Amino acid sequence: MERIKRIRNFCIVAHIDHGKSTLADRLIESTGTLAKRDMQAQILDNMDLEREKGITIKLTPTRMNYTFEGEEYELNLIDTPGHVDFTYEVSRSLAACEGAILIVDASQGVEAQTLANAYLAIDNNLEILPVINKIDLPSARPEEVKKEIEDVVGIPAMHAPCISAKDGTNIDEVLKMIVKEFPSPKGDENGLLKCLIFDSYYDNFKGAICLIRVFDGTIKVGDKIKMMQTGKTYEVTEVGIFVPNEKTVDKLEAGDVGYIAGSIKNISDIEVGDTITSADNPITEALPGYKKVQPVVFCGVFPVDGAKYNELKDALEKLKLNDASLDFMPEVSQALGFGFRCGFLGLLHLEIITARIEREYNLDIITTAPSVHYHVHKTNGEMLEISNPSSLPNPVEIDYIEEPVVKSSIFAPPEYVGAIMELCQEKRGVYKGLTYLDSNRVRVDYTLPLGEIVFDFFDSLKSRTKGYASFDYELAGYSRSDLVKVDILLNGEKCDALSIIVHKDKAYSRGRALTEKLKKIIPRQLFEVPIQAAIGTKVIARETISAMRKDVLAKCYGGDITRKRKLLEKQKEGKKRMRKIGSVEIPSEAFMSILKLDDEDK
Amino acid sequence: MTGIYIHIPFCESKCVYCAFSSFVNREKENDYFSHLKKEIENTSKSIKDNVKKVDSIYFGGGTPSVVSSNKIKDILDCIKKNFVINEDCEITIEANPNSLDKQKLAEYKKMGINRLSIGIQSLYDEELNFLGRKHNRNMAIEAIKSGKNSGFENISVDLLIGIKGQTKNRFVCELNELISLGIKHFSCYMLQVEEGTKLYNIVKENEKEILDEDECVKIYEECVRTLEENGFVRYEISNFALKGYESRHNLKYWSGENYIGFGLSAHSYIDGTRFANSNNFEGYFAGEKSLCEKLSDSQRIEELIMLGLRCRLGVDNQKLKQLGYDLTQNEDFKNFVRDCVLIKEGEIIKLNPQYYGVSNFIITRLLP
Repeated sequence: MERIKRIRNFCIVAHIDHGKSTLADRLIESTGTLAKRDMQAQILDNMDLEREKGITIKLTPTRMNYTFEGEEYELNLIDTPGHVDFTYEVSRSLAACEGAILIVDASQGVEAQTLANAYLAIDNNLEILPVINKIDLPSARPEEVKKEIEDVVGIPAMHAPCISAKDGTNIDEVLKMIVKEFPSPKGDENGLLKCLIFDSYYDNFKGAICLIRVFDGTIKVGDKIKMMQTGKTYEVTEVGIFVPNEKTVDKLEAGDVGYIAGSIKNISDIEVGDTITSADNPITEALPGYKKVQPVVFCGVFPVDGAKYNELKDALEKLKLNDASLDFMPEVSQALGFGFRCGFLGLLHLEIITARIEREYNLDIITTAPSVHYHVHKTNGEMLEISNPSSLPNPVEIDYIEEPVVKSSIFAPPEYVGAIMELCQEKRGVYKGLTYLDSNRVRVDYTLPLGEIVFDFFDSLKSRTKGYASFDYELAGYSRSDLVKVDILLNGEKCDALSIIVHKDKAYSRGRALTEKLKKIIPRQLFEVPIQAAIGTKVIARETISAMRKDVLAKCYGGDITRKRKLLEKQKEGKKRMRKIGSVEIPSEAFMSILKLDDEDK
Repeated sequence: MTGIYIHIPFCESKCVYCAFSSFVNREKENDYFSHLKKEIENTSKSIKDNVKKVDSIYFGGGTPSVVSSNKIKDILDCIKKNFVINEDCEITIEANPNSLDKQKLAEYKKMGINRLSIGIQSLYDEELNFLGRKHNRNMAIEAIKSGKNSGFENISVDLLIGIKGQTKNRFVCELNELISLGIKHFSCYMLQVEEGTKLYNIVKENEKEILDEDECVKIYEECVRTLEENGFVRYEISNFALKGYESRHNLKYWSGENYIGFGLSAHSYIDGTRFANSNNFEGYFAGEKSLCEKLSDSQRIEELIMLGLRCRLGVDNQKLKQLGYDLTQNEDFKNFVRDCVLIKEGEIIKLNPQYYGVSNFIITRLLP
């Protein structure tokens, strides 16, 4: 059999927690790619954070060998991140495959990301192999779920293997189906070089590494290559595959998946989705689907201890080495001092990066409320892109503001439709449609402002649907909106880090909620402190923190001074986490607490 | 001169708010007293002569008045034998109204005790009930009268603020009544909820069982006003006395003078080192210390500020400078002086009594 006929490139897609990484583990184990003693759970999820959260953040491809009917096949599994923040990265890895395993949890059935990912796979012309997982659970209902897949996703599923990735049940069935169902790649190893970059990472010794799928031609050490989008050229210094650790090979040919290094100093020189061709003998047309990834969610990141600014900078630079989508630039806040404004692909990305700063670099940080990129059109015709509320120009200079919107779909049992629609209305959503998928599943479509989604949307959705709803969205351009900036004044002084941009109709209620929340969080001070919310100079809400009256006047028994001293030490520690706005001391938690307004404070 | 504290860890019952070392079970009492005497003898051998000069002795607890007066006399005699007692030595005993009778009082007087500190806490029966006290209003008043009749002219009472049902007016009535009974010294504390106490569980169940911060402060402010109108001086945050009746013993804790504590969990401070005895009988009988700490300069600075500002005498910046810290250079200090939170008289810095209640907040901002 021809070499290329024995290759299968595939990925696994699923809704979160349906068992993607566990199935990957079993495949690696069953094919003998790694001995059992070398296995650890979720082998492809390298980061602790990935294992802990049960999510995949970085892609990791693995080559496995599998013998079927006397022929040895090369199976390339390209693991994909399973979250909406990384949809573009997912789409690029799908573009590197011919087949996709669609895992569906045998008790939960089809969820929002099941569908979103299945559609992504269909869009990329992949053959889809449904697999029903977790049949070991007592609540498993594999036959019903198969029917659900046929009805909702619209692909045949009656022959889907029913497995338990956890127990290793029916894994061989999956391997056989991969060989039988998925087409082999098409391509000409003697043609002109055409490769897709579907991911990248940084290696301290080799520089930036491109993860590639070769569509045509052959790539080997010494080749001069060209990145078609950036126009940059490099000489290949290393070619290799993943088993799942890096292993060098002589060459990669049409159909293969692997990596190349080329003394590429900067990870931002590699753009995911770009096409690699030969510098001497280039193709004229790049692979379709390239787009530049832009951050969509922004927030300020500041060290709790102002003296650690340089350590924070260092941490961000190191994280950026491996994550080209992370954006940051220095920012100065009157309240929080020196820090950075960072851009992220979404809320999960934000959460991951901030958690990594705290854990891997052991830094305490304050993050301000997440915000989005606004297009501010000034009366003089100028357009500003603004992600930091405090840099919004004076209202009189503003003609109008546009905000980013998303197309979203929410899946849930029918009894929650009312609650979902109510939430979407509150979040200024525009109703787009309602589809009954079957008797116990409904899909609700809305266009929503992204700024509302970054503001506590997920938590509200979860609590209002008891966790039964799943949610997916994609960016859908900009839309004009009546937005204002609400400032918070403490004792008459504006606290820049607490400013927010909101829709005019919500300014009063948000302003009131903010002042009430801050009243709860900011401890009493020596003097009375007014907290005001204001639009421009107009105060729209006011609360007052009354002056502190006492701290304990307790008996100091038998000269036990140490007890007093311990109390004092504790208070001294607490003081370190305070920020000062004028004469008002604010605990650093206050800056983050304003993210959680809607549910408790409504 | 040195102050001596003797801890008597026995009580008739445990009050709901009590987090101190005290036991209702008295089976260890005899053992305890013999160990107390041993400790006094051994300590006196190990300390320098100048530390042996004593001008205050204080029997605290627990409830010292629950044990027989012979045992108190025994200890007092032992101290007199092993230390040099100043002629005008202040000798205080804490007592509860229910364990104080005429005979005991006469014996106290006879052995040289010259100051009574009575745990009145309240003059209202429902408040006393809530606190788990074993006495009532009548017994409290009777105890004070008996004390006076037995020749005790220097009587102090403890009062608690923060009990449900307490009001400004009610508290002022109590104060007036006690003043008219001839009380010369008041210690007024706010009810503090400590983990591990019955009160902790009660409040956890329903925080309305005690008064909130604002209500407490209103009563406290009224308390301060009433006492000051009647000639009492707030010489320390929670202590008020007519002129000449300040507790010498109490002041030692705040002014950095030496004091030696004998007995279970008792604390000592001798020439810059703090000690504490074990807080269980086994440990104490074995002579274990739970603390032995020579204060560093920075700890001494912190203590000088923390303790000094609690008192009317204030803190001496000269002393702080000698230890390498100039309080007047502190950024918050300047604002506090500007806002009259602190009062600077030459090198002496005092807290404006108006802000006594929030001293912790201010102190933490003044530490190096």
